[in-house]
Amino acid sequence: MSQQTLAEKVGVTRQTIIAIEKDRYSPSLEVAFKISNEFGIPLEAVFNYN
Amino acid sequence: MEFSNKEKGLIASLGVTLLVFGWYFYGSFTNLRLSAEPPGLVEFIILIVLIAVLESIIQVFVSFKNNSQLADERDKLIEKVSYRYSYWVLSACIWFYMGHILLNTWFDHLPILTTPGGVFHLLLLFFVLAEVTHFLTQLYYYRKGF
Repeated sequence: MSQQTLAEKVGVTRQTIIAIEKDRYSPSLEVAFKISNEFGIPLEAVFNYN
Repeated sequence: MEFSNKEKGLIASLGVTLLVFGWYFYGSFTNLRLSAEPPGLVEFIILIVLIAVLESIIQVFVSFKNNSQLADERDKLIEKVSYRYSYWVLSACIWFYMGHILLNTWFDHLPILTTPGGVFHLLLLFFVLAEVTHFLTQLYYYRKGF
């Protein structure tokens, strides 16, 4: 899945997806759940908190 | 160093603001007189319309480049924070000038700034400083991350 596709499905911009991947932005819970739902895996498998 | 279309738009807006108002303030502050009246309404309206037109052109260009024209949560959050900082800058400037009015000592060596024309341009400068802060804060958080 491309960044643009994921961004469109989740409802954010591609730049936001890039910022999340580079750990420069922590998304809201709503966006985090949408991302994990798109991948079909639990939230903890996608995001972790250090 | 690669900039996103949003950042390029911000840099362009910042550049336009600094260029147009820099040119205007350079002309205004070097031509102020002790008995100057505030600038004509027509000149002021022309300045504001020029800025609005240039900003609109930049926004249309940025929207054309971006696939999505809607701001997402990150854009809204960064914009909210930048408005907060620009409000602080504007408040500090206004409090500073209010202090001058009460104490009437800080601009003793610059009586030109106490004329109606001087006051008008000083207040306009405060708004421009707040606007520049608004742009710079957004650029900072888009680059640094949030």
